[in-house]
Amino acid sequence: MTTRHGKKVALVLGSGSVKCAAALGLQNVLQREGIGIDLVVGCSAGSIYAAMIAAGHDPASTADTARRLWTRELTSQRDHLAMLRALLGRLLGSGGTFGMRKDGLILDRLRVAFGDLAIEETRIPLFITATDLANGEQVILSSGRVVDAIRASISIPYIFKPFKHGGRLLIDGFMSDPLPINVAMEEGADVIIAIGFESDHQKRFNTLGAYSAQLTAIMANNLLKARFAFHNLTHHSEVILIVPEFEQRVRLFDTEKIDYVIEVGARAAEKQLPYLRRLLELEAAEVGG
Amino acid sequence: MEVSLTDVGDVTVTTVVGSIDGLTAGGLQDTLEARIHAGRNQLVVDFAAVDYTSSAGLRTLLAVMKETRRAGGDFRLAAVRPDVHRVLELSGFTSILKLFAGTDEAVASFQAGSGR
Repeated sequence: MTTRHGKKVALVLGSGSVKCAAALGLQNVLQREGIGIDLVVGCSAGSIYAAMIAAGHDPASTADTARRLWTRELTSQRDHLAMLRALLGRLLGSGGTFGMRKDGLILDRLRVAFGDLAIEETRIPLFITATDLANGEQVILSSGRVVDAIRASISIPYIFKPFKHGGRLLIDGFMSDPLPINVAMEEGADVIIAIGFESDHQKRFNTLGAYSAQLTAIMANNLLKARFAFHNLTHHSEVILIVPEFEQRVRLFDTEKIDYVIEVGARAAEKQLPYLRRLLELEAAEVGG
Repeated sequence: MEVSLTDVGDVTVTTVVGSIDGLTAGGLQDTLEARIHAGRNQLVVDFAAVDYTSSAGLRTLLAVMKETRRAGGDFRLAAVRPDVHRVLELSGFTSILKLFAGTDEAVASFQAGSGR
């Protein structure tokens, strides 16, 4: 499927928890400009928005769904057995699936949002990425239930246990690439609109959790830059990178800031719009001529 | 995009106005490579009026940088705006290129003997 400008346009939504709602600001701008999307790629929380967009939801209804879906309650149910296993793994046997919070609530909410929708049934082709715990390889999920793919992609280390899918244990997609532009390249996209987010650094490292979060943020940000640099230089056409700059701190479950996040995403998209418009207009002229 | 060239001793200062992207980068690359082939391999690009750099623009900058270094010179940037600097940083360019606050400093860096 190719949009009216004759080029295959992909939307890639990177990891970033609540910040990923910025994609809805971008979606608003693209819809207003009549710029169609031929495929959507999502990673981690970005996979939730990617799936919504691919399924044909408008930005307003996606924002409503996100407000109900991604709340602090998701991590309120401690998995005491998992915690014990983490401490006494040799005695109890961890099975390699450390996760300190139960995932029943997030699975229930994902089922409400997506039901039994399969990836291959979405209006726009959808690709969701996760990471194979056994070897760190990126796993691209392009079939099967949307709910399962998202659950795998949001297996936040130490919070949600890895998710068994297709015979593999899958962890969060950001562990292999926080902004999986390569999937769009592999699928033959010409113009790739990618929205990515750097992880916030911790201000203090006085707890094990803060220290662990800081280490993860450092690794994720360096991985983001390294992978983006490679994809940016090896793509045959354009990668339009959108990096929203948040003046307010947006934490993992600051769902009440979704409107602000959407607004920042729209502002960042507007900055890229003049070039995107010129690029696609020129290409339309080439196709027409 | 507008491009103008000024020679300051052995250094060629290129002033670019506008956007370096897939629609404009080819012209810039041709201009700069012609200078390199004419023996001018110490290049400074004044980015003060560059308001946008796309991935295709970055690929052009990389090609020119490699060409100057192959010729024994270097390619340096001056007065990069914050938005463009952010793109350069995320793309890894700030770790492989020398950036300066202004063209005077960039030109002086060659004259100070660090011009490879």
